[in-house]
Amino acid sequence: MRKISENAYYWQKVIGNKQLEIDLEKLKKATEDSFKNEKSDSYKQKLVYDLLEAVRNNDQKEFFYILLKAINKPKDNFKELWTRLKENYDLMPEEAFINFAYSIIIGIMATYSGGEE
Amino acid sequence: MSSEYETIMNEQKLHFALKFTGNWFFDVGILGFVNLMEGVYGWDLKTLQEKINEDKEKVYYGYFPFAYFYKWLLDRNEKANSKLIENLKEELEKKKFKDNKDLFDFVWFNFICRLFKELWIRKKSELVHKSEAYTRGGREKQVKKQYNYKNTEIYLKKIEERENLINKILRKHKDEIKKILKVEKELGKLEYKYLEQLLKSNDDSISLELKELIELLRERHEEINKFLNEEWENNVINQQKFTRDEDLFYRIPIDSGFYKNFLFFNNSLGNLEQKDSFYNAICFNFDKEEMLKKIDKPINKFLPSENEFSNINYTELSTKEFKSQIEYLFVYLLCFTYAFEKYENLGYVTFYSNDLEFSYIINKKLKLYKKKIEKSKDQNIILRVTWQQVIDSLVEYKSSWSLENMYIISYKRLDNQTQENIEYIGIPKLQASILLDDTIRYNLNNRIQFRSKNFENNFCWLLEEFIKGKPLYPIILNHINLVLNEETSLKINPSIYSLIIDAKILELRSRNKGKSLFSTDFFDTYKSLVGEIKKDLIYSSFSAGLVKGIFRDDDTKRRIARELFGALKEKNKNIFLNILLKNMNENKELCSNENFNRWIFDKIIKNDTSYEMYGLLLIMNLLRGEKN
Repeated sequence: MRKISENAYYWQKVIGNKQLEIDLEKLKKATEDSFKNEKSDSYKQKLVYDLLEAVRNNDQKEFFYILLKAINKPKDNFKELWTRLKENYDLMPEEAFINFAYSIIIGIMATYSGGEE
Repeated sequence: MSSEYETIMNEQKLHFALKFTGNWFFDVGILGFVNLMEGVYGWDLKTLQEKINEDKEKVYYGYFPFAYFYKWLLDRNEKANSKLIENLKEELEKKKFKDNKDLFDFVWFNFICRLFKELWIRKKSELVHKSEAYTRGGREKQVKKQYNYKNTEIYLKKIEERENLINKILRKHKDEIKKILKVEKELGKLEYKYLEQLLKSNDDSISLELKELIELLRERHEEINKFLNEEWENNVINQQKFTRDEDLFYRIPIDSGFYKNFLFFNNSLGNLEQKDSFYNAICFNFDKEEMLKKIDKPINKFLPSENEFSNINYTELSTKEFKSQIEYLFVYLLCFTYAFEKYENLGYVTFYSNDLEFSYIINKKLKLYKKKIEKSKDQNIILRVTWQQVIDSLVEYKSSWSLENMYIISYKRLDNQTQENIEYIGIPKLQASILLDDTIRYNLNNRIQFRSKNFENNFCWLLEEFIKGKPLYPIILNHINLVLNEETSLKINPSIYSLIIDAKILELRSRNKGKSLFSTDFFDTYKSLVGEIKKDLIYSSFSAGLVKGIFRDDDTKRRIARELFGALKEKNKNIFLNILLKNMNENKELCSNENFNRWIFDKIIKNDTSYEMYGLLLIMNLLRGEKN
């Protein structure tokens, strides 16, 4: 059985002397800001469904493919999310990837029109 | 001026306050002292403290010695004249004494010796055969010291008269007597127990002639008792006019399996010597009592003897050092055994914490459950009942330091192979500080089913597990499993409390990892933990409760709960979140509910330390929405 090490929600990598970590909070925020202008809930629901399938299989390549395709639009909305992804895009250990992926998914889900705009 | 005087007086009072020393061995003695005084005079701890403040010498040199001897008689089912207690109180209230020696002597002769009159008479009357009063061997027959005094001749003559009569009766009515005494063997020399039996016999079947003889024997016997009674009254109680040579004749017949030959228990000490050694022990006079100089086996069977223990560091634990600190050390050491309560199934047991009042209260409460404890077949019953009492007392007694140092001390019997069992039952500081909260304690004080009915012990007392420092999550996990299988009904509040407490403790530990043990916020951390738990209880109960709206249909919710449970059991966070979010995805309103969305993110996605507890909380809420 796999034991999740404590505080593993930070994926840390060290480049030179600088330590990089994923700020899940900012990632979720950026996702929400990006998707809140997408009006179609059923589109977002389908996207979430596809992303969930990819995470389930720990298929990081597929996950990023679906995600990048979805945000590959010339709108300003996605600028922040692009920046975040550029910073962090890398092959991650499963534990870090799960937290990373679900932060994005829950972020998209927060923008369904059933709730606040 | 007066205020200065008052301060000094108060300081003095404080100095004599009964309190624990930190050494369990002395402390148990202090507890025994308190128990003894309460048992005999009915004073509770507070009253005893007041009496000590009023006049400590009267307590230690007057009330204590009498109580000690009184209790000794009671413990051995001997008659003890309870009227003497009231008389003693009256006398000590009104009488003035020159010094503590004067006080002690007064109590010794007028009360202790009076108290032991009947037992002393019986012991002296137990001499059935005159010949046994003499030492064996040697050219000249000498009267043994314990029978030798100024009126020995008269005494032995009376014994002889009774003996002759006994022999006469035995000769004439041997068979009938054997029948009365229900013995098969030949009666050679009649033992005292048979004599007593004979004196008490009053059967119609006894022949007239024998009846008359027994009546005559009774008269002789009474004569001896009357004679001895007068000797004791005249020479001991009223005038104390016996010489040191006669000391042993008037010895107070007291002994002890626990203290063996210690001080006044020693068989070779006469009445006056017993008195002196008792007095010396109270006032710490080890010039005369060599054995008081060190603390070892003679003082208490829990200790090794100096000979057995050759290690220099542990031997010759000198009492000298304690003289200034614990004024009445030997009083307490003598009372050691009175701290223990005897249970048929467990032996002698006492509860000890490092606070006198707390130990006193808990022990008192434990006595109320004595019957229940004795009846129980549960090996851990004493721990359970003790903890229950400790927990119940928490409300009135908010001392988390005491909770950390708690022990159950017990012994089956003490002989030369000293047997002891000391069980540490302390509640860790972290757990104790959480338990100080009334609501938390109330909710953990529950028995919850965690195993299928086929198992013998299928219920678990949450509080006990918590006190032992064990995690509650596995128990709740099993409980929810039973709920899923419809084997039991959901215990909501105890489960929620257990999960949140476990989560917060885990988070605290994870935060403090690597920090030094006694950091500056050591105490504050514990205090704020309770606040955190309560805050999260409100937040998480509400937020996790929203999951109930995921579907309307109870069966669907149960199906999801089952799937989530499987993932949690396998500790698979990925699958857990996948199942949860996939099902959520169909309910747009729930997905975008800011509270719920945020809660899932904070407590599960972002959280690798305690997400399992919160996950289980979600499952619980899915099951909770059901009609039944």
